[in-house]
Amino acid sequence: MTMDARILTKGFELEHLRRIGTYIDQGGYRAVKKALTEWKPEQVLEEVKKASLRGRGGAGFPAGVKWSFVPQKTDKPKYLCVNADEGEPGTFKDRYILSHNPHLLIEGIVIASYAVGIHLAYVYIRGEYELIARRLEEAIAEAAAKSLLGKKILGTAFGLDVFVHRGAGAYICGEETGLLESLEGKRGNPRLKPPFPASVGLFQSPTVINNVETLANIPLIVLNGAAWFLAQGLPKDGGTRIFSVSGAVNRPGIYELPLGTSLRSIIFEHAGGLKPGRTLKAVIPGGMSSPVLLPDEIDLKMDCDSVAAAGSMLGSAGIIVIDDGTPILDVLAKVAKFYAHESCGQCTPCRLGTSWIHKIVKRMAAGKGRAEDVDTLIRLSANIKGRTLCPLGDAAAMPVLAIARKFKGELERAMKGNA
Amino acid sequence: MVKIFIDEKPVEAAEGLTIFKAAQNSGVAIPHFCYHPAFVPEGSCRLCLVEIEGSPKLELSCSTVVREGMKISTQSPTVREARRGVLEFLLAEHPLDCPICDKAGECKLQDFYQDYGLTESVFREFKEKREKKVRIGDKLILDRERCVLCTRCVRFLAEITKTSELGLFERGIRSEIGLYENEPVRNGYSGNLVDLCPVGAITDAEFRFRTRPWFLAKGESICPLCSRGCNIFIDYHPGFSRVPGSAKVYRIRPRTNEAVNGHWICDHGRYGFVEWQQKNRSEKLVWNSGNGTTQMSWSKVMIAIAERIKALRERKQSGRISIVLTTWLTNEELFLIKKIFKDGLGVKHLFFADPPPGTADGLLLRADRTPNRRGAQEMGFEPKPPDFAELSKDTEILFIFGPHLAGSAGDRAWKSALEKIPVKILVTSHLNELASAADFVLPAAFIAEKSGTLTNEDGRIQRIEAIARACADVRPEAQILLDLAREIHLDDAYFKALSGPGSIFRALGKDIRFFEAKP
Amino acid sequence: MSREFAPALKKRIEDIASRYPTPQAALLPVLHLVQRDTGFLSAEEERAVASLLGLAPIKVREVVTFYTMFTRKPLGRFHLQVCSNLSCSLAGGESLLKHLQAKLGIKPGETTPDGKFTLTEVECLGACEQAPCLMINFDYYGKLDPDGIDRILNELK
Repeated sequence: MTMDARILTKGFELEHLRRIGTYIDQGGYRAVKKALTEWKPEQVLEEVKKASLRGRGGAGFPAGVKWSFVPQKTDKPKYLCVNADEGEPGTFKDRYILSHNPHLLIEGIVIASYAVGIHLAYVYIRGEYELIARRLEEAIAEAAAKSLLGKKILGTAFGLDVFVHRGAGAYICGEETGLLESLEGKRGNPRLKPPFPASVGLFQSPTVINNVETLANIPLIVLNGAAWFLAQGLPKDGGTRIFSVSGAVNRPGIYELPLGTSLRSIIFEHAGGLKPGRTLKAVIPGGMSSPVLLPDEIDLKMDCDSVAAAGSMLGSAGIIVIDDGTPILDVLAKVAKFYAHESCGQCTPCRLGTSWIHKIVKRMAAGKGRAEDVDTLIRLSANIKGRTLCPLGDAAAMPVLAIARKFKGELERAMKGNA
Repeated sequence: MVKIFIDEKPVEAAEGLTIFKAAQNSGVAIPHFCYHPAFVPEGSCRLCLVEIEGSPKLELSCSTVVREGMKISTQSPTVREARRGVLEFLLAEHPLDCPICDKAGECKLQDFYQDYGLTESVFREFKEKREKKVRIGDKLILDRERCVLCTRCVRFLAEITKTSELGLFERGIRSEIGLYENEPVRNGYSGNLVDLCPVGAITDAEFRFRTRPWFLAKGESICPLCSRGCNIFIDYHPGFSRVPGSAKVYRIRPRTNEAVNGHWICDHGRYGFVEWQQKNRSEKLVWNSGNGTTQMSWSKVMIAIAERIKALRERKQSGRISIVLTTWLTNEELFLIKKIFKDGLGVKHLFFADPPPGTADGLLLRADRTPNRRGAQEMGFEPKPPDFAELSKDTEILFIFGPHLAGSAGDRAWKSALEKIPVKILVTSHLNELASAADFVLPAAFIAEKSGTLTNEDGRIQRIEAIARACADVRPEAQILLDLAREIHLDDAYFKALSGPGSIFRALGKDIRFFEAKP
Repeated sequence: MSREFAPALKKRIEDIASRYPTPQAALLPVLHLVQRDTGFLSAEEERAVASLLGLAPIKVREVVTFYTMFTRKPLGRFHLQVCSNLSCSLAGGESLLKHLQAKLGIKPGETTPDGKFTLTEVECLGACEQAPCLMINFDYYGKLDPDGIDRILNELK
């Protein structure tokens, strides 16, 4: 029904795409050659800006703009941190890129570093992806052996070292400053912003932090140009997104589709719709932190601005489908438990608020809830939102707010009859 | 300077200042837990949030720098709602300990709840149960249920003492402060943690359950236990006016002075002060005549002493009076001694007996364990220890100020030297072996009961204020010396004009250039 | 008391530390390495790592207790980490956990008496398209039903 939109995930079915030989045979590492030998760093940056490549990790911040915040002249070393923490529940797209096409990521890392003037990059990969981390290290070694990493890449003056750095089980380390703290060997407590990582980042130096999928798009932009990239998506949101679809659908998996694809089509056409006899109850569009959508809200274009306008967010594009077989209280229980478990504990509203919310929801799930609990959940969430040190507070508050408001009736009815 | 508006009032603020500091300078208080002037802003308590016109979210006043034209509200409904929210969150897991918590009455959580909270509790869940009586230091007790995780204690130990005995463990609601393998906080500055902790999580084991802050009055003084002259508050029960000496010092706390001690005092001073204040005090006027001790009145004793001095003066032998001083004496007291004994009576043998020097700790505590050596030097004294041979040879009357002679000489030389001296007058705040060796024991006041000035090692003249009278017989040395001067009629006109420490200091300033400056 | 690491392990630790401008940054990778070696991180391992990286031991424990994947207690030879997050529970993750509890006779957080299995609930593993999932040590298994997990456990020696 649709044209094959796959530009990123092309070739993923090839078993050995992660081997540099296959990757090069498939046309890999041409972009690096082009960027390093034909373009100046500023040209790369401009092209990425023009391509309207928005961050694929969750915040959707334009990558080219972020790169331009790094001071050109500085006596400090500059760093690139690749955010491969992929902790947002419902998201697994980066896992595919890392395990099936690590060289695409490496190529993106090299070009991005060239554009900004970075010579040392760390890939912060979640600790659970241990085997994938090893594959990535093998790919890095392969690239270095072919002079695609290291001192003089492809004989140019540009050099770059890339190291893999494994996390150890903390969702908060997917937040950019939590990641920096963790990379520095400390507790993953996010930092106050300002200053922003572009000026004071890793080891107090200017740092760019980009998501895996964001960087994987860079070689495509360099090879095919910004105009082509925009044409794959939308004027203010270029390219494709790899949607992770899971939950109550027949064909959970990754689906690379143009930005602006309708949510309904993703669920019912690409992912095969719901199980027999089931109706749709709710959809989480962008990872657990995004406000839930009701069945009458799924005629929605999946791009950053449209989803934001609908009161939710595209986030990590992790779509979780919930059908009528699941009480919404169960969903709320998973949400509350997750954020309480992952709160770093640094700031008051998140540390105490997520725990309090979790305790209330546990009590509700144990049959001891009261009708006023739903209003309390709403009020507590509102006291967390916008008041915390880092966005995890908002991530914790927004889904609870959305579920409590949109499913107030069902929740209150579930409490009726409790003592 | 930039012009900003705080609650619609125009304020001039220095560039680079945070909103918090600018507000503080203009008299606007903003509630906070984690912020402390000694540390870099932490931004974790979220209580100091303020509203800035043009900003969609509330911003932290502790870390946001002022900009020209900024319009800040510290009282808007949103700000008040945010503060209530933070306090409600903290109180949800806070134990209902006020009736048994030492911090009650000086607890920030109580104060802020009173001013910015006043919410009804809607918490219906089970509170986290944590350890309530963890010994984390020789005099420190940690109650984990009360801890609000402001991390001031952790940061103090990391940045000031650089000893990091406390760390932050676990994550989320299970976060807690703790030691490493029970290695206690023991770095000479542990007492500051009690002051730093805004709630009753870290409390002083010495102060535990002993009194309530609202029974205590507060005085300003200087710690006398080394030459740094840290500024302190003395927290004391004022006692009862009809019962002299019923005032009781419970504890001392640092008084911020950026030029002297910053925000801290050392444990040697903090706990030593109260020990010295309370223990082994000399409280009774004693005259050890041949047939046992006789209790006398001050007037009788002063007359008796004055007679002996006058006798020597008539024989033109006032040089046979010797003095052992201490640099624990205030500038005013040392000045009177100079005027009476050195200038007036021509005393030649002037020595000093002081607590022995210790080791400087690289922070506040100095090796010189006396508070006024510099003052003595500036006044022309040469603080040298007693030459006992010289002392016993030519002395008819010996005045000893302070108890330190009994500890100073390594050998017991002072004992045999004193035996050779006919009249020994001990003016001391503390009793020890010296008292039985002396003929007259005049009970003197300790720092907390005196007013005057001390000169620290940097030459800074600092004021101490008497917080209370000690018991009936105890008198400040200044008063004893003035009475003596009057009794022996040494330049009546001059000494009559000296009524108290203020006038004495002015006279001192006229006499010696160094003391011209006002403290 | 602090452990002395074998020369090979020490060398690997030093290699890792050389990738960073400050030794502290090597802490997480080094702790993974050491935990692989000893099975868990006691005070002895903490002190040894601290000494090699020039850190105070307390800083090491602050990190060990923050991250879910570091353990201060020994675990069973096979650490069964069952995802308890949303997509897995929508696919039957909770009954998978209950099945394991019944089969092994232990609750989440416990280890079987023979030291073979430890059962833990974890958050999203990033494999939601194969829900319900679990991770055994570092190996991912998905699309599990009771028979499936039984077969896998039987093959674990």
